[in-house]
Amino acid sequence: MKFRIRRFDEKRGSYWQSFEVPVTTAMTVLDGLFYIRENLDSSLAFRASCRMGICGSCAVKINGRPRLACETQVSKFREVKIEPLDNFAVIKDLVTEFEGFFAKHKKVKPYLINPKADYENPVEQIQTPEELKVYYDFSLCIKCGACHSVCPAAATLEGYLSPAALVSAYRFNADSRDHGKEERLKIVSAADGVWRCHSAMECSEVCPKQIEPAKAIQLLRVATLR
Amino acid sequence: MRFLGWFKYRSPFGIAFMFQRITGLILVFYLCLHLAFLTSLQERELYEHFTSITVSKQFFIFDSLLILCGVFHGLNGIRIIIHEFGYAHEHRKAILVIFAVLILFAWLYGSYIMYMALGD
Amino acid sequence: MRGFEPLAWLFQVITGILMVFLITVHFLVTHSAHNLLSYESVIERLSRLDYRLFYALLLFVVSFHALNGLRAVILDTEGGMRRKKLVNASVALVAVIMIAYGLFLLFKL
Repeated sequence: MKFRIRRFDEKRGSYWQSFEVPVTTAMTVLDGLFYIRENLDSSLAFRASCRMGICGSCAVKINGRPRLACETQVSKFREVKIEPLDNFAVIKDLVTEFEGFFAKHKKVKPYLINPKADYENPVEQIQTPEELKVYYDFSLCIKCGACHSVCPAAATLEGYLSPAALVSAYRFNADSRDHGKEERLKIVSAADGVWRCHSAMECSEVCPKQIEPAKAIQLLRVATLR
Repeated sequence: MRFLGWFKYRSPFGIAFMFQRITGLILVFYLCLHLAFLTSLQERELYEHFTSITVSKQFFIFDSLLILCGVFHGLNGIRIIIHEFGYAHEHRKAILVIFAVLILFAWLYGSYIMYMALGD
Repeated sequence: MRGFEPLAWLFQVITGILMVFLITVHFLVTHSAHNLLSYESVIERLSRLDYRLFYALLLFVVSFHALNGLRAVILDTEGGMRRKKLVNASVALVAVIMIAYGLFLLFKL
């Protein structure tokens, strides 16, 4: 199977390189990348960690669409074309800069806010299964960056909060244990927040955890009206 | 130019977004033309000169395309409104198909009405 | 409410829905039969109060939706976002001029 990879380094800039990778049963794209690095070219740079779709490190653009390399079967394709994620600055080969992405997360205060919390006399925070169901799906985000890479708003505006950060904001707002709704709504209701989303729904189409970030963003919009 | 980032989408939803944006801009441009048209109503000869060009079988193709832009923008807009209130994200493919069919019929029907009105 | 953006969005939605009906009516009024676009027909319609009110409503709704939409497109760009206040003010000004001019034409003709 031919692996065509769009590589990058500061001296050469961007360039394509092809590798022939022997295919084994149930091989994933990530297996192929490891094979290349171990046997063909040890300078190939890419991120990976858990190999099982939970850490979000290996998200790359495979044949034009962002996917997790560890969850993508090579047998789906005739040829595997791999590129780094769009809308992220490339550091080397398939490794992109993620600091800005994480900074956007931090901006929406992705933690439970409870002004009455008394750590000296802790009280258990009870939550019913129904209350959990409201935000559970949105808590599954693995911060892989696939949504950010396909979002038209993120493509054109550097400061856009990105679907992932907005999903995080909604996840906490919808959590019955949280008391920081107003603070977060003010942050996401700024001009570079939810109002830059125009329902292209590309994020929902590529999320490897099927979270539907578009839905979270729209629910945040509706919440700002109240 | 970064705003070209609006025009490179693969999924049908991204393409719908792209056309919503394009048709919106075309309609704003048309709005300006329409205001010019209405301004010409102040002088009969000028108005009739404009309509002799635009209300004719030769010009019909442009009007039909305009109807397509308007119908697309309006009906796709309704689809977007449904999703923007948080509804039916799970069924978004089916809804897209339904609206695509509605748009096609509305365009053909609108063009038909306009064509019939051209008469002689 | 958190700033005016939620309201702007709400009105974009409301004007959008209204326009689907109003524009359909407008299209049928002007194109469902021959000669509806002749000078006499148009002037005759514009002299009636019910049509004038309909067109005034259409004017408000279209001006808001078009210019708010344009504002959203401009603010989606880096250049537009940096000059947010200027963009918002300019779009509001153009909307006011458009409505004023439209009303002027409507009551003059």
